[in-house]
Amino acid sequence: MKERRQFWQRTQDDEPDHDRADLPAHGHWAPLVVGEPIFEFEPRPPDVSSYRPDTVYDDWSCDNFAVRMACVRGYAHRYRGIPRQDEAEVAFHPQSGAVMFAVADGVSSARQAHIGATIACRSAMYALRHQMNAARDAVNWAKVLDDTARSLTSRAADTLRQDAPAQEAVLDLFATTLVAGYVAPARGGPVASMVQVGDTSAWILRHGRYRSVLTDKHDQRQQVVSSAVTPLPVLPDRVMPVTIGLPSDAVLLVGTDGFGDALGDGDGQVGRLFATCLRTPPPGRAFAHLLDFSRETFDDDRTLVGVWPRETGQEMPR
Amino acid sequence: MQNHESELNNGLSALIETLRAEPMIAAKVRLSVLGFSDKVAVRLALADLRGLEMVPRLQIRGSTNYRAAFDDLLRRIPGDVFALKRDGYSVHRPAVFFLSDGQPDDARWRNPHRRLTDRAATAVAPNVIAFGIGAVKAQTILEVATQTHFAFVSIPGADIGMAIARFFVALTASVIQSGQSLNSSSPELVVEHPEGFRLAIDVV
Repeated sequence: MKERRQFWQRTQDDEPDHDRADLPAHGHWAPLVVGEPIFEFEPRPPDVSSYRPDTVYDDWSCDNFAVRMACVRGYAHRYRGIPRQDEAEVAFHPQSGAVMFAVADGVSSARQAHIGATIACRSAMYALRHQMNAARDAVNWAKVLDDTARSLTSRAADTLRQDAPAQEAVLDLFATTLVAGYVAPARGGPVASMVQVGDTSAWILRHGRYRSVLTDKHDQRQQVVSSAVTPLPVLPDRVMPVTIGLPSDAVLLVGTDGFGDALGDGDGQVGRLFATCLRTPPPGRAFAHLLDFSRETFDDDRTLVGVWPRETGQEMPR
Repeated sequence: MQNHESELNNGLSALIETLRAEPMIAAKVRLSVLGFSDKVAVRLALADLRGLEMVPRLQIRGSTNYRAAFDDLLRRIPGDVFALKRDGYSVHRPAVFFLSDGQPDDARWRNPHRRLTDRAATAVAPNVIAFGIGAVKAQTILEVATQTHFAFVSIPGADIGMAIARFFVALTASVIQSGQSLNSSSPELVVEHPEGFRLAIDVV
């Protein structure tokens, strides 16, 4: 049976004739449309003093995992000239062979949401790496969050020129969600551990089905969407880290609500598209292109980290 | 409000045109417009304004039967939410912008209003933002609104036509700003304080 190709898997026969004048303007890079598309427009530059690119992506593999990350500015922010307020970082931890990740979504009502998200990811990764380097038995997640909240407050103190800004003032400036964690190789198979503040979430995708790893705001029993988010620097009353095994034929996905809202319970068109396209890790640019799909009413920033288990030295199909 | 039909219709036209100029927000908003006097007249039902071919005409009629309005909303809103969810939409808590120039005909509106706004009784209970102009009492508007900062009354002696126009300006700004916040981590109902109105709580 002929294997079905993914949209980024082209053969030599598909190579475009670069001299042809009638090549479509967007070539293969027009947004993937899911259902009704968002109308076409030219994105406006982000109204910020420091450089904030529209899209970032990352693509690498270590001995035990293949990693993809993409963070794309939402259509609404492109339309209005607002910077991407999502942020993500992924890193390899050589001593343990683990993949560390942090994903944040700056709360749009915050005045410098994009900076809040950036500080949160950077601080959480620093705190996580520091603890993992110390090779303790378990990560102290409360301290990871506490360190991150302190970093936000410290930066707010500089920005506001106040010695000790009130939590409300830090929220007003930098409020952000966060999921930080790692996936590590283990004797019984990879294990993922993470902590959540706000509605950024995580899923295990296996055999076309999505299983929520963290608290998910898409509770089918609720008649209307709950919008209650308590972001950093507010710390949860009780830190509830989650540790879960990652089957060898599954992928761990960590994403902001720009992806999660469109995914819903995973049974819709977006869920099917990602289940099909993420059976194997796509090239990073294809991962970003996939995440930038066009679907009416879903116009928020989107961030997604994918971690696929792999055997040492295994070549992953691309 | 008898002589102010044109202000009502101009305000509604401006609201619809403004939303049409914001297609990304309009895609997320469904608008119903109900007139109420002795009974309810549906001028627009769960409309996607991007495809609206004709702006409905509002008509001034007599009496102000609040009960008819809240009885209708009590049936209409759960049905509308069900229809939207069936079509695959996620639905945020509905918002009712209530405008009246007169006191209720009688007190029988309180029961349907209570059932409508009680989230234990009605899971999709709306936020009600109430605006009073002319003869309506601030206390009544305060009772209609679901939060004290959602209750506004026009300044005594204010021109009714001007008050209607300002109501629509605030309504339009509220819908646009609330629509913008829908793509954020913290969607919220934004209520614009209309010029020429005071919070009812400051009057009572």
